[in-house]
Amino acid sequence: MSAITVTDLTKRYAPDGPAAVDGLSLTVEPGSIVGFLGPNGAGKTTTIKVLTGLLTATSGSARIGGFDVVRQRAAAMSRLGAVLEGSRNVYWTLSAWQNLVYFGRLKGLRRSAAGARAERLLTELGLWERRDEQVGTFSRGMQQQVAIAAALIADPEVLLLDEPTLGLDVAATRAVKDRLGALARDEGKTILLTTHQLDVVEELCDRVAVISRGRSVADLPTRELLATFRSHDHYELRISGDADVALPGGFTAERADDETVVSGRADDPEALYRLIDALRAQGRALHGVEQVQPGLESVFLTLVAEPSHA
Amino acid sequence: MPDAAPALAPPVPAALAAEIRKGLANQLAHPLGHAVTLAISITMYLGLQYVMGQGALRTDLLPATLIAIGAYWFLQYSGQVMVADLIEEQRTGTFAAAHMSTAPLWAAMAGRLATAALFALPIAVLASLVPALAVGIRLPWEPAALVPYLLLAANILAFTFLMAAVAIRTPAVGAIHSLLTSLVLMLNGAFMPLALYPEWMAAAARLLPTTLAIEAIDRVLLDGASLAAVWSGGTLPLLIAHTAALAGCGAWLLHRNRRLSLADGRIGRY
Repeated sequence: MSAITVTDLTKRYAPDGPAAVDGLSLTVEPGSIVGFLGPNGAGKTTTIKVLTGLLTATSGSARIGGFDVVRQRAAAMSRLGAVLEGSRNVYWTLSAWQNLVYFGRLKGLRRSAAGARAERLLTELGLWERRDEQVGTFSRGMQQQVAIAAALIADPEVLLLDEPTLGLDVAATRAVKDRLGALARDEGKTILLTTHQLDVVEELCDRVAVISRGRSVADLPTRELLATFRSHDHYELRISGDADVALPGGFTAERADDETVVSGRADDPEALYRLIDALRAQGRALHGVEQVQPGLESVFLTLVAEPSHA
Repeated sequence: MPDAAPALAPPVPAALAAEIRKGLANQLAHPLGHAVTLAISITMYLGLQYVMGQGALRTDLLPATLIAIGAYWFLQYSGQVMVADLIEEQRTGTFAAAHMSTAPLWAAMAGRLATAALFALPIAVLASLVPALAVGIRLPWEPAALVPYLLLAANILAFTFLMAAVAIRTPAVGAIHSLLTSLVLMLNGAFMPLALYPEWMAAAARLLPTTLAIEAIDRVLLDGASLAAVWSGGTLPLLIAHTAALAGCGAWLLHRNRRLSLADGRIGRY
């Protein structure tokens, strides 16, 4: 059984308005980390809100651990932990301990069970000594770690994380990334992650689902998605001075500091050799020639610009 | 569909207990603020009584106003705990996190209302007792007065619940609540007994159910009237009907606002 199942989900905020999510279907298998990507306004947060039971869908359904989030709300919520974007997620006036026990009780844990779980989570975070301090006194990174711990308090099967690294510095982002990796790898948690930090997705996610204008435009294992867009004929040449030659079709030149980067796709190897000859004839020194592969960022930009790769 | 896994604890009692603990801890996070507010208010109350007594504290008039000032503080603090905190949580998003509970929303709201009562009650008692002790007057006590006292508390809590149900979608209700609370302070006899009000003002004040309840308490405690006599006057049945109407409207608004907020994504976030 899938950990998360979204079936033909459509959400319109006004009856005649545009669909924020338009017939989206998505499944996430247990124990996997899926990057849920899309430009601003693509419908990511709307989908997350439907999955957390904070928003009703216009049509379609959403299930957590097989339980419908509307009709079997309590069962679905007991299997779900979430960190929402733009929210505090935890009470800043309460201590880390009070927050974790509170959210554990809301998920139906007995007080003793919530306390034991809170102790474990705070110890793992290195916050046990500071358990009685108000969360408002913590750094932004530590507050986010407490929010993730609060989402984990009832040991849910599924974690929904909406921009969990937003606004964090490099060290805090690394700490969150390490924690998420460990949660999936060591504890078998299923994680659906939305973020604009694509390095986080490339490093962590087994699969990537991309939506644009409320519709799915790609849903593939990360490696497969990257491989689809990778080719062996994309080259980058770095030369001294300007590239005052006629560039082959598909090539562009960009000035960078004291050199120029000429890059493009050379379907015909002869075109590349002719370009190098022309540059040499102009007296340009060739600093380097490199076969380049697109990263997730360029794949993502291609997908959302041309939603024909679904 | 698979069967729901058994909950580790009954969700409604667990959520109720969690909300009460959280709410009290939230309020007690800044105890000095409450102490200072109370000290300033008591000082102002006594100062006002001194001015109105033209340079003396009228111990014959103070008991009635102390009952009224206690009612005001119960109203003020229950609103602060239930309405102001809810608005703040909607703004910061913590109410959304709390909404992902296994318990229904009404359980969380009931927990918040219980917190409001538990926190506001000692504040109201202190606001009445401290000035009484300071000026050396003894507030009379009569067990029969518990009935109008309880009805007064229930009426205030029903009003607070109604305001909180509105607050789920409308943050401006915080300002309306403050306005109504100030109106109650002016008209419930906290400054001077209602008997000393101009006639038209006393008549207007009696339109407020809190004023009626306070008058009922006054009659039992200060005038020695029996509960049956107060009941037959119609004040208490009116108070019960008003409380039931407030609670009914609150429940309807809570249901409606939850449904609307789930449709437009404003549950837990304005």
